[in-house]
Amino acid sequence: MALDYRKCAEEIYSHLGGKENIISAAHCATRLRLVIADNSKIDTKALEDVEGVKGLFDSNGQLQLIIGTGTVNKVYDEFLAVTGLSAATKADVKAAAASRMPLWKKILKTPGDVFVPILPAIVASGLMMGLVEAIPKFWAAFGESDWYSFLDLVANTAFALLPVLVAVSAARVFGGNIFLGAVIGLMMVHPALINAWTVGNYAAGEIPTWHLFFFNVQQVGYQGHVIPVILAVLLMSTVEKWLHKKVPEMIDLFVTPLCTVLITAFVTFTIIGPTFSILENWVLAGAKWLASSLFGSLVMGAIYPWTVVMGLHHMYNVIEAGMIAQTGLNTWMPIASAANFAQFGACLAVALKVHNQKTKSVALPSALSASLGITEPAIFGINFRFMKPFLCGMAGGAVGALFGALFKLGAPVYGVTGIPAIPAVNNVPLYLVELLIAAGVAFALTWVIWKEDVPKAAPVEEIPEETAEPMPSVVRCAAGEMLQPTKGTVIAREDIPDDTFAMGILGDGVGVVPEEGIVYAPFDGTVTSVFDTKHAVTLEKNGMEVLIHIGVNTVNMNGEGFTAFVEDGQEVKAGQKLIAFDRDAIKAAGYNDTVVMLLTNSDDLEGVECGLK
Amino acid sequence: MKSFEYTITDPVGIHARPAGLLVKEIKGFAGSTVTITKGEKTVNALKLMALMQMGIKQGDTVKVEVEGGDEEAVAAAIEAFFKANL
Repeated sequence: MALDYRKCAEEIYSHLGGKENIISAAHCATRLRLVIADNSKIDTKALEDVEGVKGLFDSNGQLQLIIGTGTVNKVYDEFLAVTGLSAATKADVKAAAASRMPLWKKILKTPGDVFVPILPAIVASGLMMGLVEAIPKFWAAFGESDWYSFLDLVANTAFALLPVLVAVSAARVFGGNIFLGAVIGLMMVHPALINAWTVGNYAAGEIPTWHLFFFNVQQVGYQGHVIPVILAVLLMSTVEKWLHKKVPEMIDLFVTPLCTVLITAFVTFTIIGPTFSILENWVLAGAKWLASSLFGSLVMGAIYPWTVVMGLHHMYNVIEAGMIAQTGLNTWMPIASAANFAQFGACLAVALKVHNQKTKSVALPSALSASLGITEPAIFGINFRFMKPFLCGMAGGAVGALFGALFKLGAPVYGVTGIPAIPAVNNVPLYLVELLIAAGVAFALTWVIWKEDVPKAAPVEEIPEETAEPMPSVVRCAAGEMLQPTKGTVIAREDIPDDTFAMGILGDGVGVVPEEGIVYAPFDGTVTSVFDTKHAVTLEKNGMEVLIHIGVNTVNMNGEGFTAFVEDGQEVKAGQKLIAFDRDAIKAAGYNDTVVMLLTNSDDLEGVECGLK
Repeated sequence: MKSFEYTITDPVGIHARPAGLLVKEIKGFAGSTVTITKGEKTVNALKLMALMQMGIKQGDTVKVEVEGGDEEAVAAAIEAFFKANL
């Protein structure tokens, strides 16, 4: 008899502890995936007994109910109808699961989560901007051409409107509506506000001000800012989610967005913004004072990149312009140059040292961009993410800045650093030495101190080419036998903690609960394919097609924590190591690390027998 | 022959699990031969290993062709499967 989907959904719902306890719902091919607020409120036993539910487990912050292909989507539709929840995508569910991490972890993870998706935009813009700004320094006529002004517009779009990109990305991270997030971002760079890049040209009294209740709000935009935008969107997402819960459904559609935008806008301009203005003024005053001494230059060279992270660096134009007005020489520029060029050095070291192709492909252009004075891609894309290169960059910046101050380097211009500033400086050879020192120190330190996060098992020398002791046979058929692929406890296919494997959809075989992080070849044969994500490998021998899959859902780790020692088409010997995997990394990512070995064409083979003899 | 094109939206593409499910789905249509083409490469969709080796990722567009049997219905069912799972 066909399953009564409605009844199944209603029964599931009745054991979940009420609608408030369900944060979101999604489904994949076989499972209903729920994010639950409080797991203690759900009745696991009763859920297992619901007709249609073949099993359930809690993984990665999600409660997953196994329902089955073709059925799960129907139960899911009914479930949405019963609960009144809106359909969540798998990504939403993952985001909701991530929100259950400890607070300090979330705070550390947030800037990276926000920045990584928008990296293509800032890398492209940063590189182009650096080039476009560099050319006129060598070839003045270009600066007057239409091409220059056109390319400049293209290049600086992403930076001029950076808060919009940040806001959209942050809204995704915090689970807010991304269009409302875009509104907040756009509002913060609204053309009617004074551009934050040029506000330094205004005297304090000239800046138009709103008087809202007892707040005096300066009508200044947030161009180039990052942290205030992230905070504003965090607030927005929180308000939005709270309202969704509290506002009656009938009026939710117009009340919630309206109130969300209004409240966020008000708090952003009255509290978040001014707090940052005060911070900015402190930074400016502090920076001015610091730059006036040798020791201060050293300190400033070190902390400069932090001000880039906070988006306060564009305010330095004010200091630089002031210096030129007073003395005709901008001695701030060498500090900024040293700091920026050091980030270039650190990023370059990462680019040359890293094995992960994805990181490399971000690091190289980012480094190039940083050498031209645009450090955001390098800082946010690479150095700050890995932290150690960032700190090494600080050291390089400090030493470089000290050198610059020692020899009283300076330039009669402002707004450029790194290579583009070369034609302007008062002493070109010494300036080049300063850049070399800054980048060299940062590069050398990064090279020595920073290590790529690779599996602990990675030091290749320490792993024997083959297993010391021969592995026992775990799968046999007429065509041959397969040896245990990793040290550990052999479990039956049915006991593998994933329904797709357990139900034999991918073929018959066994699981191994691993004791070490290495997978060995189960027979003398050919590697037919190593997955890009290195978490699985397929092999072939004598008509036996074998899949070895490390862990459950580990495809989501994108290769982090896995190292492959073989490549497609390679001949291997039984017991030869194929892949090393970091069990701690799998655990940290919230996945099960059972190694699954399946004979994918077991249906076509004779006499298949699984398990230890 | 009946065919359709589909662009993969699942962030991890056709890896082990979806490939297995797809093969299982297609095994249900014994009368039809189903092939999947990405770029120059075409594989029989019943061959799990071949399917996984295609390395189909998010954003890739694949062409699915159904030959024999109740082509119309089989193609529609497979397309529905792609939309639901991939």
